[in-house]
Amino acid sequence: MVVAGAEIPPPPLTKAMANNSHDQRLKPQPAELIDRNKCVEFQFDGQRVNAHQGDTVASALHAAGVSILSRGFKYHRPRGLLCGVGRCPNCLVNVDGVPNVRACTQQVRQAMNVQHQNAWPSLNLDFLSVLDRLQWLMPVGFYYKAFHRPKFIWGLAQRVIRRIGGLGTIDIDADSVTNYRHRYQHSDVAVVGGGPAGLAAALTAAEQGVGVTLVDDQPELGGHLLFNSRNLRGLPDLVDGSGPEVANRLIQRVTKSPHIEVLSGATVFAHYQDNLLTILHGDELVKLRARGVVLATGAYEVPLQFQNNDLPGIMLATAAQRLIHLYAVKPGNTAVVATVNDQGYQAALDLLNAGVDVAAVVDVRPTFSHGLEAATALISRGVPLLAGHAITHATGKKRVRAVVVASQNAGSPDGSARRIACDLVCMAGGFQPANSLLQHAGGSLDYDEKSSEGIPHDLPNGVYVAGEVAGVHNLASTLLQGRLAGLEAARLVSGPGSIQEEIGRVRQRLNGLKAEPGSIPPSPVSAAPVSAPTESQVKKNFVCFCEDVTVKDVAQAIQEGFEDIQMLKRYSTATMGPCQGKMCLKALVGLCAQHTGRTISETGGTTARPPVQPIPLAALAGPSHMAVKRTPMDQSHRDLGASMVDLGPWQRAHSYGSPQEECLAVRQRVGIIDVTTLGKLEVTGRDAGVLLDRVYTHHFSNLRVGRIRYGLLCADNSTIMDDGTVTKLAEDRYFVTTTTGNVDLIEEWFKWWQAGTGSCAHITNVTSAYAAVNVAGPRARDTLSKLTDVDLSEQSFRYMRSAQGDVAGVPAMLLRIGFVGETGWEIHVPAEYGQHIWETIMEAGKEFGIAPFGLEAQRILRLEKKHVIVGQDTDADSNPLDSGMDWVVRFDKEDFIGREGLKLASERIPRNKLVGFIMQDGQVPEDGVPVVSGYKPIGKVTSARLSPTMNKGFGLAWVPAELAQDGTQISVLVNGEPRPAQVTLQPFYDPEGERLRQ
Amino acid sequence: MAFLLNCPNCGERNVHEFRFGGEATSRPVPNSTPDEWLSYFYNRGNVAGVQREWWNHRYGCRKWFLALRDTVSNQIQETFWP
Repeated sequence: MVVAGAEIPPPPLTKAMANNSHDQRLKPQPAELIDRNKCVEFQFDGQRVNAHQGDTVASALHAAGVSILSRGFKYHRPRGLLCGVGRCPNCLVNVDGVPNVRACTQQVRQAMNVQHQNAWPSLNLDFLSVLDRLQWLMPVGFYYKAFHRPKFIWGLAQRVIRRIGGLGTIDIDADSVTNYRHRYQHSDVAVVGGGPAGLAAALTAAEQGVGVTLVDDQPELGGHLLFNSRNLRGLPDLVDGSGPEVANRLIQRVTKSPHIEVLSGATVFAHYQDNLLTILHGDELVKLRARGVVLATGAYEVPLQFQNNDLPGIMLATAAQRLIHLYAVKPGNTAVVATVNDQGYQAALDLLNAGVDVAAVVDVRPTFSHGLEAATALISRGVPLLAGHAITHATGKKRVRAVVVASQNAGSPDGSARRIACDLVCMAGGFQPANSLLQHAGGSLDYDEKSSEGIPHDLPNGVYVAGEVAGVHNLASTLLQGRLAGLEAARLVSGPGSIQEEIGRVRQRLNGLKAEPGSIPPSPVSAAPVSAPTESQVKKNFVCFCEDVTVKDVAQAIQEGFEDIQMLKRYSTATMGPCQGKMCLKALVGLCAQHTGRTISETGGTTARPPVQPIPLAALAGPSHMAVKRTPMDQSHRDLGASMVDLGPWQRAHSYGSPQEECLAVRQRVGIIDVTTLGKLEVTGRDAGVLLDRVYTHHFSNLRVGRIRYGLLCADNSTIMDDGTVTKLAEDRYFVTTTTGNVDLIEEWFKWWQAGTGSCAHITNVTSAYAAVNVAGPRARDTLSKLTDVDLSEQSFRYMRSAQGDVAGVPAMLLRIGFVGETGWEIHVPAEYGQHIWETIMEAGKEFGIAPFGLEAQRILRLEKKHVIVGQDTDADSNPLDSGMDWVVRFDKEDFIGREGLKLASERIPRNKLVGFIMQDGQVPEDGVPVVSGYKPIGKVTSARLSPTMNKGFGLAWVPAELAQDGTQISVLVNGEPRPAQVTLQPFYDPEGERLRQ
Repeated sequence: MAFLLNCPNCGERNVHEFRFGGEATSRPVPNSTPDEWLSYFYNRGNVAGVQREWWNHRYGCRKWFLALRDTVSNQIQETFWP
């Protein structure tokens, strides 16, 4: 029996997928992040995986014995956990439909669906891994030089490359609405990095009473202290203890401080000018502005270069340490640790303690550190230490099975190479300071030849550094440096005062620490990447894991002449993948220096640009909040069945059914349209008239109170900006209307000229304060007379006059204007009365056959009157002379904006003119079609409609000036065919304007 | 661009609150030569250095003011009323 709706549970993870047959989970670790009491189950490629709360996808998969997490970008080689901290590209997976999620930082959630990407059909069996054998076909920069001949091959190759290139795929059918929010935050001091330096900086700044925001990209504060099991001694003002113990003491003080806000699991992906940090924190993008910024971003451990250094099971030493200490997962069974510094010894010890056999510690340095506690412990436990050795290659297919180790001493016999079986290789390849943010901020770097690390040289104003990012790898110094940076940042806010003395004291202690020899363990030394033996030049020895760039590729690119590090980067694409150089920049710079015979500092580095970490575009886009403005009469339109259109932010009624019938109602009876969206400005003050005289082409100061005049605004070079009406309400008070979408621009334009000329005028945007309707048609007077005491008779209320009075019992301003060419009034009332006036007029007009008309009908009606719509019939190159509006330009005024430009234009022979046309064959062209000579475009139709009064197609068009004569025959392209039309210079309807004056 | 701009009316604000009004030019007096006018219409100094320019606090007090800004570094030297 099948139970409806019951889901068949996915099969548990099989041994075929897991390379190890037993659970790799260790006994509880002191600082583990997992909650063993809470179990979480999720799916990986359709199979069940059990995990604990606090696990990451990668730690859970590792515990279950899965070592292949992804496939390489170019060669589709199997890849496993490498960095374990969200830097490298090796564990990109698809989580619940979201591509390119890093499995090593993504915490598990119940029932989450994790799927592999970039492999087909599966991670274990990827047919595209055939590319691994086709390396000869894809040398460095192959897309610049391959597939060019024969010519057709590029089209083919392009299709194939596009298909198989790239990483995860986006589900284009997925819901495009994102949940990312944007938030602005202000803080006195921002500290980036929650390791020891950052904690010390935040605590010290907070002690000075300034507000601190501490941002850390890991789930828990503490940085590398969390997986540092050494007993830490001699720390400034701190009791000895293990890493997690020390971290906990600092974290407790941080959480108790009322001045510190902590953003955990938050990535600072850019630093912009004036200390603006952009932070991705869950589904929130925080734009944090701080007075002082402390960068305590630490350093990235980097891999080593040897053949097949990308096999699953080969990971950074810190990745193995994280697995052990944070997630209690045994990283492997038999390990080889390869190191260039002291870091590897502690990692080896941690592995031993976690029950991993350590087959050897391979140190590239000629002698290993004497007196190093971890080294002594390893020797006593029988771990072979090989100084002056390095791994030359690794073998294995889906996981590393052995490494070959050879002596690095010059002249040592080839026979010195030995094979060591293992299923885990930990690489302690040295550190690369995480200085991208510092570079965004404009800081400069000096390159330390010994460690090949970029050390901050010049710090930008308001930016301080502490810890490993500053090249300091000693914990005591790091803590003091953190304090110093915290104090210096706090000083920006609270001023020198007592802080100054404290800064002096900390600085002295820091210097003392440096001066006292032996008190600091030698700082880690890293060597240049191992120069690979010649035979491995043809093999895969990866520098860049993101883009699959090998040592050989880099060498070849340099040979081809790309010697500059910036050029080398672009040509080889090394450092240009998802890790953005975090894993590979150091090696690339080292190789470049080595092959070009330059020093590291001569070679330099690449430029760090935002974002530091890949972030979803949706986070940058933020929420979709399109502002929508509705007029007070909006509901009435909808109730009448209007179709609405967006016009800028406004929604307007397009039509109530038939635009043609709406036109006829206006022409024959009476119509009403909601014109609330008109831009409305009030210009007041002693110089209001002077200002308007200046910005408009027409006179306004000489207008009599109560009169209205059409006005046109031009830019100084004569192009049309906007038009509208200006009503003089009082000697020092004008009411201006603008085109719906232009009001903000015009407000700023008026204010700009006001500011520039210092005239006494005030411009107030009153657009939303008034609702407005236009009531027009032969029965408009009859309709409105029922509702007002204002004398609307032809003699008393003439065309282009205004009056104030009550309409339908509410205070109103009546403007007698005629955009649609009939007797009519534009009635402005306080917005609150908008719906009332609409409904009352509709009721009063019933007996006269009133009909509401929409935007479309208005467009037809005004077109019949040849009234231009700025922006529709004119463009950024149109001036009033060519647009047939010479009558509105008053050269007799001494000066106005556009006067000189218009004068120059009037002296030129115009190329094109705006004219009316009537179609001769019953066709109606579309807006925007060309006016043609034969089939050659010579002009453009800006507006065209079917005229309900003429019952013909007609419109406005730009035509060559020589055709701008009454009666000229032109051709307009309709449905791709030239159709005859006749030029008309007069308005099509009521050319004398008798009707609108009635 | 993410710098702070000091509105003479409202104080220091994010530059995103402002509309850039272009470099401050001086308008020729009436009856200047066509060359002078055309230069005013279309030519700009486009300096790499300190520029006197207009800004409008669009999402604030909506007032126009002038600023001296280094176009290379975006450092604002001074903001003031016209």
